[in-house]
Amino acid sequence: MPASAGIGLRAPHVSRILREHPRVPWFEMHSENLFATGGSLHDAMVRIRADYPLSLHGVGLSLGSVDALDTAHLWRLAALVARYQPGLVSEHLCWGAVGGRHSNDLLPLPFTEEAVSLLVSRIGQVQDALRRELLVENISTYLRFQEGDYTEWDFVAEVVRRSGCGLLCDVNNIYVNSVNHDFDPSMYLRALPREAVREIHLAGYTRKEGLPVPLLIDTHSRPVDEAVWALYGAAVARFGPVPTLIEWDQDIPELEVLLAEAARAQEVLDARRACAA
Amino acid sequence: MHVVPALLELQSRFLDALYDDAEAGPTEALVGAGLDPAARLRIYRHAAAQIHADALRATYPALLALVGEAFFEQVGVHYRRAHPSRSGNLQAFGAHFADFLESLQATGTLPYLGDVARLEWQRQQAALAGTAEALSAGVVGEAFAGVDGAVRIALHPSVRRFASPHPVLSIWQYAMQPSPGRLTLPEHGDRLLLWRSEAEVAMAPIDAASFACIGALLCGVTLDAAHAAARAKDSAFDLPACITSLVAQELVVAITPVHRKEHPACA
Repeated sequence: MPASAGIGLRAPHVSRILREHPRVPWFEMHSENLFATGGSLHDAMVRIRADYPLSLHGVGLSLGSVDALDTAHLWRLAALVARYQPGLVSEHLCWGAVGGRHSNDLLPLPFTEEAVSLLVSRIGQVQDALRRELLVENISTYLRFQEGDYTEWDFVAEVVRRSGCGLLCDVNNIYVNSVNHDFDPSMYLRALPREAVREIHLAGYTRKEGLPVPLLIDTHSRPVDEAVWALYGAAVARFGPVPTLIEWDQDIPELEVLLAEAARAQEVLDARRACAA
Repeated sequence: MHVVPALLELQSRFLDALYDDAEAGPTEALVGAGLDPAARLRIYRHAAAQIHADALRATYPALLALVGEAFFEQVGVHYRRAHPSRSGNLQAFGAHFADFLESLQATGTLPYLGDVARLEWQRQQAALAGTAEALSAGVVGEAFAGVDGAVRIALHPSVRRFASPHPVLSIWQYAMQPSPGRLTLPEHGDRLLLWRSEAEVAMAPIDAASFACIGALLCGVTLDAAHAAARAKDSAFDLPACITSLVAQELVVAITPVHRKEHPACA
């Protein structure tokens, strides 16, 4: 996977990408959107994959659930990985289902030893099934549980260290959580294991109005905020130039808007490379 | 200070609260930090409900147009409680929506709604079905010429049949592209063939004998058996015309000779 700035591949842009072959270093696709055996999206993906590197990003495996891993879900992912040979495969450090019921959302875990052990075991199962490294992503949260065994950043670092997986560092999520839970985001970056970071995500958030405290929602519906760009600069300074993705999932704009955001991220990556040279 | 409950209890109570407004969730284990913990939990409750409502909207656009936003949303709320999502893949959510609609007293005066929903579910299945290369007319001709005996015809994986006592095709078309004036519905029901054509799902009415023939082919019986099933509906059934039409729609993907005497029975 090139250490460049790619964009999330979303349905409204597919036909234009097939027609115009824009200069994009790589695309990321939500794994579950390709879980059907066929359809026009697969037809398009075969052609896009022939021309671009690809990353698969899962949202439904529910790594942190006390339910056993859904093996049907896991094997569908394995089949997708075999079919498209993505450069990176990632999931979220969260849970989403219990007792067979799914929220289909990314729900927060308590930062406890019990949760770390569970995640380490589940990540091991996934890596064994896929026979490759899984990246795990830190999520945005709007609540946190009473004091656990770890801070959030130590929790993430411990899971990565003990499972041997890679880390997808979502810089926007770190910023959103730093506002929602009142901490210094640079401290979070410093705690993450630099050698495990394989990818960075950037996205836009919205501010929930009318509340007595500031609360940011990770909506992926807006341009990357200036404060997040600043934190991204710090992340690239610490982790080096790693593949960076612009995510945009709601109110999806024209492709040019995503390309412009990716170009700005590319400038940061290029500057870091020039600095290291 | 409250202690965070073990994961099983925490997750069970959390998910209960996402599915049921009456469930408070594990609020005693949450940090408020200037905001009512219940308000923080409500953000997740609202998001999960929205995710499921959006999934239903994407699968059932005609139904949404027919019943309107407010009613659709209300039914969606009750549906997700009765049939919680059972997969991390949202494409599976909504499978029971037609039966659920028909179980509601409020839809009793609109008896076609359930079948419109079933039609839309079949459209989604056709859109997501596997892919196979269609045989050209020339290849089909050669295949028949080279076979002496029974054959099976395999159809494209996206092919579906749908029958309803209601004129669901007209209703679906009206819902998706309303025309000015009052809609005059046919008095008969529909037998439809559905298939994926490029990025779209195509639908076409077919007669009872063709419906039976294609149904038998989809079950994997021999062409002779499919022909017999069609002739039971219409003794004048034109098999070559039916197969030619399927080939023209690029829906025939394999013709294979049958060597064994045993043929699968169609349920």
